Amino acid sequence: MNKPILEIRDLSVEYNASEESVLALNKVNINLYPREILGIVGESGCGKSTLAYGVMNYLGKNALISGAINFGGENLLDKSDREMDHFRGNKIAIINQNPFTSLNPSLKLGKQLAEVAVFHRKMKYKDAMELSRDMLISLNLPDPDSILRRYPHEISGGMQQRICIAMGLMCQPSILIMDEPTTALDVTTEVVILDLCRNLVKQFDTAIIYISHDLGIISSISDRIAVMYRGEIAELAEKDELFSNPQHPYTKALINCIPRHGVTKDQKKLATIPGYITNRNKHDESCPFLERCKYSSSEGCINNYGMQEIIQGHWTACSKVSIAENEVILDKPEPRIIGKQDEVPLLNVENLTKIFPSRSKKYIAVDDISFHVNRNRVFGIVGESGCGKSTTALCIEGLLETNGGRIEYKGEDITKTWQKRSGNVLKEIQMVFQDPARSLNPFYTVEQIIGRPIKVLRGIKSKIDRRKIIIELLHKVGLSEQYINKKTSQMSGGERQRVAIARVFALKPDLVICDEPTSALDVSVQAAVLNLLVELQQETDEISYIFISHDLHVVNYISDFVMIMYLGKICEFGRTAEVFSPPYHPYTEALLSAVPEVGGGSKKSLIRLEGSVPVPDGTITGCHFHTRCPRKIGNICEREIPPKVNLTDTHYIHCHLPNEKLEKMESVF
Amino acid sequence: MKERLAVKILSMVGTMIIMSILIFTLVELMPGDVAQIILGMNANEQSLTEMRSTMGLDRPAPVRYLEWAGNAIRGDFGESLYLKGVSVSSLIVRRGFHSLILAVAAFLLFVPLSIFLGVIAGTNERKWQDKIISTFGIITMAMPEFVLGVFMIMIFSVKLNWFPVNSTLEIGQTIFENLKIIVLPALSITILMVGYVSRMQRASTVTVMNSEYIKMARLKGLPRSYVILHHALKNALIPSITVIGMNIGWLFGGLVVVESLFSFPGIGFLVVQALKSRDIPLILASILIITFVYIFSSFITDMLYAYLNPRIRYRS
Amino acid sequence: MKLSKITIGGIIGIVILAFWIFMAIFGSMLTPYTHVEMDLVQKMAAPSASHILGTDQLGRDIFSRIIIGSRSVLTVSVTAALFSTFLGILVGFSAGYFGGKTDEIIMRFMDILLSMPALVLAMVVVGIMEGTSILTLTLVISIVFTPRTARVARSALLTWKDLEFVDAAKIRGESHLYIMFMEIMPNALGPIIVEATARIAYSVMTVSALGFLGIGLQPPTPDWGMMVSENKSIIISAPWAVLAPTIAIASLVIGVSLLADLIQRRLINE
Repeated sequence: MNKPILEIRDLSVEYNASEESVLALNKVNINLYPREILGIVGESGCGKSTLAYGVMNYLGKNALISGAINFGGENLLDKSDREMDHFRGNKIAIINQNPFTSLNPSLKLGKQLAEVAVFHRKMKYKDAMELSRDMLISLNLPDPDSILRRYPHEISGGMQQRICIAMGLMCQPSILIMDEPTTALDVTTEVVILDLCRNLVKQFDTAIIYISHDLGIISSISDRIAVMYRGEIAELAEKDELFSNPQHPYTKALINCIPRHGVTKDQKKLATIPGYITNRNKHDESCPFLERCKYSSSEGCINNYGMQEIIQGHWTACSKVSIAENEVILDKPEPRIIGKQDEVPLLNVENLTKIFPSRSKKYIAVDDISFHVNRNRVFGIVGESGCGKSTTALCIEGLLETNGGRIEYKGEDITKTWQKRSGNVLKEIQMVFQDPARSLNPFYTVEQIIGRPIKVLRGIKSKIDRRKIIIELLHKVGLSEQYINKKTSQMSGGERQRVAIARVFALKPDLVICDEPTSALDVSVQAAVLNLLVELQQETDEISYIFISHDLHVVNYISDFVMIMYLGKICEFGRTAEVFSPPYHPYTEALLSAVPEVGGGSKKSLIRLEGSVPVPDGTITGCHFHTRCPRKIGNICEREIPPKVNLTDTHYIHCHLPNEKLEKMESVF
Repeated sequence: MKERLAVKILSMVGTMIIMSILIFTLVELMPGDVAQIILGMNANEQSLTEMRSTMGLDRPAPVRYLEWAGNAIRGDFGESLYLKGVSVSSLIVRRGFHSLILAVAAFLLFVPLSIFLGVIAGTNERKWQDKIISTFGIITMAMPEFVLGVFMIMIFSVKLNWFPVNSTLEIGQTIFENLKIIVLPALSITILMVGYVSRMQRASTVTVMNSEYIKMARLKGLPRSYVILHHALKNALIPSITVIGMNIGWLFGGLVVVESLFSFPGIGFLVVQALKSRDIPLILASILIITFVYIFSSFITDMLYAYLNPRIRYRS
Repeated sequence: MKLSKITIGGIIGIVILAFWIFMAIFGSMLTPYTHVEMDLVQKMAAPSASHILGTDQLGRDIFSRIIIGSRSVLTVSVTAALFSTFLGILVGFSAGYFGGKTDEIIMRFMDILLSMPALVLAMVVVGIMEGTSILTLTLVISIVFTPRTARVARSALLTWKDLEFVDAAKIRGESHLYIMFMEIMPNALGPIIVEATARIAYSVMTVSALGFLGIGLQPPTPDWGMMVSENKSIIISAPWAVLAPTIAIASLVIGVSLLADLIQRRLINE
């Protein structure tokens, strides 16, 4: 390989918090070569952001840094803050997770772009503005002149992130660091940013360090991948090599805990990693993965671990390569029989409509939708932010008042808010929320949190009886008895979500609405929570889930039926296998095409959605998707509401596409 | 924008009307009878009744309110009971003008000073500059205005003899002929306000300096001084406008006390005198004017805030 | 609360407050005089062994008057702060929790009360109540402060109201009262306690300002603010008569403010 442009040598970063010191990075060594995309992947707390800001020499005063970052023959760590100004934004630029908070709300975008060139290239303001305009044109942003005159809040999130990228590129830096640049964006926007990144390397001769927690994104964009764990690099290899020949137990576990390549709950239980990430302190010299590793042996893992090159360019920190069985990656499926009785409807939703009043107009979040959920089935709802999936859930749960339609549960009309529902209905319909840090009251202990609903809705007055039930539930969700007196602030995200699930199952519900139950969690924890949900359903054999998610892999894994929503409307509904194979609704097709696949697996069709998302204020005519639909057939899409087209008994779409076109549709994969 | 302005003006007028009713009601509830005050304690019941009916006091309160409000709109607040024959309006105009000069002087001193101190403290979070300014802030904030005034009198009037103890005007003298009397009251108000406003300014500066966009601006390689001046300052100043606006109320309260301490011939001192002498027309008028000026300045603050903040300006 | 995390300012605050509480309770044992007793021989006497803080123009012992004054000022400010916090929680919580029109009407009304400077409003209300006693003064200050504490309580509630544990309580059919006071309040208490402490300081200032203006507590109850105005005319010949109550007020307010600052750091920032 050619000469690296950036060499990180033995980089260690220690934070001195009030009492204990935390080792955020421990002797990290890595090179970045010209024009490559180096992906860095790891779960929260693994030190990937510290690495990014370390390269910028911008870590705050309480960070103790050692090692070297060699760039252009100089060690950046020797530079003062003032000297670093010459590098930052000029030679090395950084883009971070949330474009909205990274842009100054009170300055026009033009100024924020131009000032970079004014400082680093000593340009006149007018010329710098001209350069900004050229930059926007070369990044294919529509209507650059008007963008330059706008404020950040006047453009969409995807556009904001593209402006941030343009800002990073103003001085043609040799390195661009991207720290979770698409995490705040929807999949169809994310894929546009990812395409842009791939082009940057060719167009601007820039090397990219791409940081993400999402193995799918990392594998779709990187040339080389570094897997990080607790401040160290666990494994580093070319992309294809890493996925075909993973060595480190952590890498293997990480790859296996994600539902991928269309795997479903009937085929395979997801791999999990027991335990959770803890802070590392500087006296700890053993392998950082030791506590959670299933191959750990006492001696080797404490004294004898460290980076080794096993094949040219493939480094791993685990020295027990030979012992570690390689079949782990193939993890034999454990076939599981999911209840196969007849389809018996449990919940029936007809013409549900929810309108939010907003300033002068209205916002139709859910627009006249009908569907039904069957007993002992998992009903997945998928869509991007603003599609109305959560609003639907809140209406069913009685947390929002509906503006029309009827919700029927076991034949009983429950189109009313929680105040007016009977105790029995409240008890039987339960909800698992997205973020357990928000859904569990931080003031109370686990016993109080789980005990309260048991007391209120099951009428069990004796504290001793309740305690017995709680302990049993804790065991069921995989927590020990000791948790009973803990407060949730002392727990990790995964443990909290288990408590939230225990609270729900304490009531023996018939219908559980899970609103993005795993999206606030790390992937290894996500797998455990998904497994738990599947197990609990199997065990009782009479629970239905409404599983809401933006993650198509997860929905594909867990659901029996899937409904795809867009701007308050249903696009497609059917059995999971039917929805995920052609013929698709054009929006489903675009979503599937946009989702990054773990381990490469190139897609046949590359559909990119352009156009803007309209506001559903009742003025959209025809199909809600017509402004962005790549398969729009003409005026009819703008004028007429698409009909319900039954493709099979259980599968329908709402689309104007004629049958012959639908039949010719090819699989995305 | 225009729509917003119209709504704000309407709500301001509404608040003024409700306040005028409230003030009228409160004063109505005060013990004491106007007729009794005019005629003195020895007046007999018959002359009191006659007095009440000539003054229209026997009519129901809503009618009297409407009459009072109607006259007030035309600038007629009646005659003072205590200073017989003097029209309330002329008192209010003269005293109000003095207070205005005092308030403006204090305003011109404390606004730039507190913003300056707040920004210095906020951009040097937890360094010595911050510690000194914050300690100073806590101490001055804790001092009631008359306590500060007393200290000032001790130093500048008693020890140094630079300024008079009492800020009284000779009869026939205008305030411009004796500007010296403004200095100590203005300084007292300034020190009082600086403590609070600089603390708020510090807080908003700290929030802005720790924000993601300031971090990004620094990571773009822009020098620190440029980032503070061009990126931080505007965002940090916007909340201060509200803070200063909100504290105009405090400024007014401060005026009442400071003017009384220095016997400064302003509207604040007038309110106290009116309350003590139960001079009903004067109480009504002076409190109404203070409240209206306060409501109006809140309105101006609101508008200024909306104008400077693009996020609000563009929201239709 | 770990002792090591208490700041120097906080310690000073606690010491000052403890000093005044001690003085209010036991102070009268330290002086042979009562607060109304006039020493006709020693009018405007400078501080000495017999009168540690000197006497005023009527020959009353200033130290004794300060001590008796501390009782009323402490009683009024602490009670008023607590009571206005209580009212503020009721008003602010109902407005914030029910939201929509209820919120708009309640907060609109609070805004209107806020559109009169606090001190001026207090003066008018005091004017209505003939003869200011400790009870009426406490009531007036509580009422005047309620719109302010209500705002704090409302915004404290709002930071928690939209969290999903509130939804979780709703879908198990809890009552509004339970949700407000058992689910939200324990979490929202931090800023409310900070505000309540700060309100003690503001009460001290308001009580003294009213006293100073001569519309606070009526003689013979000694009031620190009133002592300043009574003795203002002899500021040149007997400065101690003005300085003593002035320093008393300032120290008490600073003490309470430092304590509020400490609580703020402990409960909110960290």
